[in-house]
Amino acid sequence: MIPYTHFKLPNGLQVIHHQDESTQLCVLNILYNVGSKHEDPNQTGFAHLFEHLMFGGSVNIPEYDTPLQMAGGENNAFTNHDITNYYLTLPSTNIETGFWLESDRMLGLAFNQESLDNQKSVVIEEFKERYFNPPYGDVWLKLLPLSFKEHPYNWPTIGKEISHIENATMDDVKSFFSNFYHPGNAILVIAGNISLHRAKELTDKWFAPIPAGKTIRRHYNPEPKQTEARVLTHHADVPAHLLVKSYHTVARNHPDYYATDLLSDILGSGRSARLHQQLVKERGIFSEIDCYLTGDVEPGLLVIEGKLSAGIQIEEAELAINELLSQLLHTGIPEAELNKVKNKGETTLRFNDIGVLNKAMKLAYACLLENMELVNKEADYYQQVSGDDILRVSNTIFAPHNCSTLYYLASKHANA
Amino acid sequence: MPTLNRNIAPPSSDIEGIDLRELSTFTLHNGIPVYYIHTPNSAVLKVDLVFNGGIRNQNFAGQASATGSMLSEGTEVLSAKQLAEELDAFGAYLQSRTNIDDSLLSLYCLPRFLHSCMPLVVDILTNCTFPQKELDTYKRNAIQRYLVNSQRNGFLASRAFYSSIFGNQNAYGAPVNQIDYENISRETVLSFYNQNIRGRIKYIMLSGEVDLPILAVLQNHLGSLPNQTAEPKPIEKNSQTGHSLFIENPTSVQSTLKMGCEWVNRKHPDFTKLQVLNLALGGYFGSRLMRNIREEKGLTYGIHSSVESYLETGVFYIETEINNELRETGLREIRHELDVLRTNLIPEDELSLVKNYMLGSFLRGIDGPFSLMDRYKMIIDFGFTYDYFSKFVDTIKAVRASELRELANQYLNEELMTTVIAGKK
Repeated sequence: MIPYTHFKLPNGLQVIHHQDESTQLCVLNILYNVGSKHEDPNQTGFAHLFEHLMFGGSVNIPEYDTPLQMAGGENNAFTNHDITNYYLTLPSTNIETGFWLESDRMLGLAFNQESLDNQKSVVIEEFKERYFNPPYGDVWLKLLPLSFKEHPYNWPTIGKEISHIENATMDDVKSFFSNFYHPGNAILVIAGNISLHRAKELTDKWFAPIPAGKTIRRHYNPEPKQTEARVLTHHADVPAHLLVKSYHTVARNHPDYYATDLLSDILGSGRSARLHQQLVKERGIFSEIDCYLTGDVEPGLLVIEGKLSAGIQIEEAELAINELLSQLLHTGIPEAELNKVKNKGETTLRFNDIGVLNKAMKLAYACLLENMELVNKEADYYQQVSGDDILRVSNTIFAPHNCSTLYYLASKHANA
Repeated sequence: MPTLNRNIAPPSSDIEGIDLRELSTFTLHNGIPVYYIHTPNSAVLKVDLVFNGGIRNQNFAGQASATGSMLSEGTEVLSAKQLAEELDAFGAYLQSRTNIDDSLLSLYCLPRFLHSCMPLVVDILTNCTFPQKELDTYKRNAIQRYLVNSQRNGFLASRAFYSSIFGNQNAYGAPVNQIDYENISRETVLSFYNQNIRGRIKYIMLSGEVDLPILAVLQNHLGSLPNQTAEPKPIEKNSQTGHSLFIENPTSVQSTLKMGCEWVNRKHPDFTKLQVLNLALGGYFGSRLMRNIREEKGLTYGIHSSVESYLETGVFYIETEINNELRETGLREIRHELDVLRTNLIPEDELSLVKNYMLGSFLRGIDGPFSLMDRYKMIIDFGFTYDYFSKFVDTIKAVRASELRELANQYLNEELMTTVIAGKK
């Protein structure tokens, strides 16, 4: 049980407080409702580049990191398709430093050309480090445009291509800030060893004076229903073939999300999961195989992804997956297997509730989904899923026309 | 209402009075020491079984980690599949980890399922059979992971680095190659298990919801097992300094640069002060290396320096994934930063920032039962007394810039450092 208080300031900022007296720390987590899906398709990677710029100094404070570190604090941030999330941890006695820093960069940035040029180079190196240099690093650059034809989930957060980052100008940066970085587009979570009274006092002092803003969002179409199977073949200098199959599924807030998540666990979670047991252990077709949800706010993907054992042909591997899926659709889910994934889900939820930062992020995300009850009700939602629910969502998800397949083939297939 | 002055930082205070949850101890009937931290209402439980089953105790490259990975692959009573199904049925996770000095088998579960999971753990501790079919699967998959890793610059650079500074015939420096995975047999795994794991628990750590009934469950299942701890084997290093190595990976668009040397470990009186020095150089986001090479020059997404402490030695290194064309600039700037630390005093404001940040990190490191237990493990393994942490805090607060400059001259000597670059020529 995570107790919390949720309130809103007149300027539109949503605030959530959670007190945990067992820690000496306090966390501020600020979620801005802007992610890569809000970008112009000809200017991708911008939300993430912008995340870097948020550390380049704000209107009244030349440097963000130094005063935070001086107060014993640490911070980081991440960007995904839907959101940009910033968080910091401080000894709770020094938490006001965090309020000062976060409120100032919500108020305004320093907008310095040198910092922009520099962070463009840093992000380009990050692009290379994550997407080009490692073996299989560019899988998502291939898979997303194959899976999404209309919806802006069709490019990764880092961007479609390096030139989009190179071309970003200071004017773009400024208009992005004024459109998305204001109280009404943000959720502030204050969690840790701090009373509600103190949290309100500090929020009023530092955040209430920030003027309200307004966000105009670009219109985009929902992803049209996929009507035929898609296939893409790619060759690369990697040691083993990789097979990736993606299937459209429901939004995070949809009632079927829980059945879908348990379905992915039945297939992919733990050593007794079906894909691992049958295709790695029993038949030796894959060396590793996994199944997971992308977990986006809007309808996202269920992904099955596996590396083939040496000497196995990609067609044979794909057939094995398809057979396993039709067996599942045919025979359903035994009660014991359903209980197993529910127990595993409960363990994961409980372990995730250890640590005040995890709880803060969970609260912020539930608020974004306009579903605060999620933080304490999710365990029940999982318990209520029946085998029939899972079978029903499986039938929709695993319809052949709902699938996009990437054959990522080793051009020098080891030991073949 | 007074106007808000946003130009001035609100007052912040130094970190005082670190409040550390105490480590409790108790002994099983058969003499196995148990260390635990009870966190009421945490609703989770982690059980770590620690063995002298580390890399140092192996006779063949890859033997210790193969044994660790194979522990849940079948016993005289249960097949690998049955073991997996039973553990999963209770929502539990079992994880093995092989370090240089020791190895761990860790169980993560809900407290109410501990009594159901323990018979499976006991079975693993006493009856592993390492079926040939499961071993073949392990070997096949390990070789494939090895081949994938062999395309990663970071992996290539690290292997070469440790082999170069310690020699390639011991636990610190011996790389595991494809041929080593191919040579692992049922017999080699079984003999490692018999000598180091089976009935060989060194100690147990419990964290989370560790109330009296939980301790009783543990006593009940593990307290009457025959137990005798394996001895850690000596490690014979062949230490070398000052090498320069290049590993070609023609397809890469970036290079890994790894530079460093053997260092003192936690037992040495200079160690805590050296941690302060390391932090200033490359141990946090605002470090000198990050400022210069990432924030000012944009040559990398990240650069850091680290200190590793094993029971009998230590390592210092700087590592980065860096722009291919500007690799030499990066190297020059790293050398420059080392030189500055040897020549100039760290300014007082930077030093107090580094100290405050380090104390804040320490607070984060002891937050929550699992990370706190990790800190205590270090105390147990090195045989320190529980005042280690308060001494650590006092040392950080007291260290002066002049001492750090002396230490930089003594310990940051790039002529003694080995530099490895993996990437495109």
